[in-house]
Amino acid sequence: MKATWILPDGHEISAEVPEGLNMMQAAVANNIPNVVGECGGNLSCATCHVYVDEAWAAKTGDVGDFEDPMLDVAEAERRPTSRLSCQIKMSPALDGLVLIVPQP
Amino acid sequence: MTVWTPSDDGHADLTSHDTFLNGPPHNTFARLRRDDPVHWTDYSAGQGFWSVTRHADILELNGKPDLLSSARGIRMEDQTYEEYLARRTFQETDAPDHMMTRVKVAKAFSKPVIAQFEKVIRDLCGPILDDAFAKGRFDATKEIARQLPMRMLGRIVGLPDEDLAWLVEKGDALIANTDPDFTQHVLDKMTTDEFRMMPFNSPAGAELFVYAKEMMEKKAASGDTSGILHLLLQPGPDGSVMPEHEFRNFFCLLVAAGNDTTRYSIAAGIQALCHQPELLGQIQRGEVNETMADEIIRWASPTTYFRRTATRDFDYHGKQVRAGDKVLYWFASGNRDDSAFLEPFKVDLTRNPNRHISFGQGGPHVCLGMWLARLEVRVLFEELAKRLRSIEPAGEQKFLRSNFIGGVKELPVRVTLQ
Ligand code: HEM
Ligand code: FES
Repeated sequence: MKATWILPDGHEISAEVPEGLNMMQAAVANNIPNVVGECGGNLSCATCHVYVDEAWAAKTGDVGDFEDPMLDVAEAERRPTSRLSCQIKMSPALDGLVLIVPQP
Repeated sequence: MTVWTPSDDGHADLTSHDTFLNGPPHNTFARLRRDDPVHWTDYSAGQGFWSVTRHADILELNGKPDLLSSARGIRMEDQTYEEYLARRTFQETDAPDHMMTRVKVAKAFSKPVIAQFEKVIRDLCGPILDDAFAKGRFDATKEIARQLPMRMLGRIVGLPDEDLAWLVEKGDALIANTDPDFTQHVLDKMTTDEFRMMPFNSPAGAELFVYAKEMMEKKAASGDTSGILHLLLQPGPDGSVMPEHEFRNFFCLLVAAGNDTTRYSIAAGIQALCHQPELLGQIQRGEVNETMADEIIRWASPTTYFRRTATRDFDYHGKQVRAGDKVLYWFASGNRDDSAFLEPFKVDLTRNPNRHISFGQGGPHVCLGMWLARLEVRVLFEELAKRLRSIEPAGEQKFLRSNFIGGVKELPVRVTLQ
């Protein structure tokens, strides 16, 4: 399955992401800048913050109960499409997913 | 010149605080990473434990809190359930309890909120550095590293200036509780169990409890909103306010967690400057502002390990770990793993990315104070570099007597100024 990250400078990076991997792990595996994931996907650091491309926002599901307050902790401003990417798991429905990496 | 070379014989006793008097036993860690990555140690003072020493393994296991719990204690020592309940903080809990507290305090310690304190921290550094440097030759741990963390924490929390020196002293007694230089109640040498139920097994913990309660009342009564304290006391996402006992515990945890760790990071950074003279110039030229704090903190690895407890049986690298077994993640070892770092025994302030695990990265308990610690270390070394022309060792360094907090407790240096 494929995913694309759009970097703050407009540059795009696309990669194959296996089903079940979360999008923080996928970003780290592909050296996407500014997606760090310091708590290993445990909702404690917000260093995996991304904006989901409008077209994909509905498909990635709702913000979780603990994810919501943690989104206020992220370095970049929170927007309606903000998500912690460790909470989004790759699945066939998300094949082609586009994520926007925030400007720190 | 290398900064420091380990001197252990490769078979050091990890349970002995005395082992660490010569610095962390890195020859032993290297052997364990190579030959025995999940190593069993018998422990004369209680149940034995497993040691995990490879960088990749620590990251992997730390990410499985349902398998390896924080809720049975996070130190090597055994605790009865009674002691656990009396002393635990949210650091010794698992999800969802852990997250309930973490989301309440996360904002106050977030990168953007902490960043607002840069100038406050810079202003604190100046006079302390100037006083120390005026001496020409001095103990850098005592005169610099020891002075700053509690003062910085005090400013960030919003405590009165006149309390800051007292806090430095209490912070010392609280966690360096296995080194006779810092406490009269040396933990592993105590025969009575009078302190067992006290926070951090220490009378200083009890005093800090009282202080926290009084301070909270005083600030509430006067409507003082300096520092981040008022953020901590605002209703959380579920509408509830942090109850007094929880705040008291949390305050103690801040003092315990933010004091020695930052101090020994600063000390390790100064130690590195003494032995790798090129580093000072790099800082002065502004080449490493973004990356130096993480490298200094990797080099320091101030908390040598944290512990978990297995919740069920599992096999790992051919070993059978049983439910109830203690498992230690040796961050100090993972930070010297040459499969994760090029030349791990060299301080390279340009290292980037720097996936060190000094902050317990990879798990839900990843250091809450990491943005504060990084800011403190960066600002201190910027201010230090502005003033110095040279710094060199001026005597023998001494390490703390502790297998849990790794640090240079005496660091004689000689400086010349710009
Ligand atoms: C360089 C300095 C520091 C180092 C190396 C460090 C290290 C760590 C480590 C390894 C953990 C994880 C413990 C575990 O996995 O069980 C941790 C947690 C924690 N640290 Fe730090 N720390 C530092 C500075 C600070 C500061 C300045 C503060 C506060 C002002 C702080 C507050 C905390 C708290 C509250 C936790 C518990 C978080 C939780 O359980 O969710 N630390 N720290
Ligand atoms: S990796 Fe820490 S919140 Fe996502």
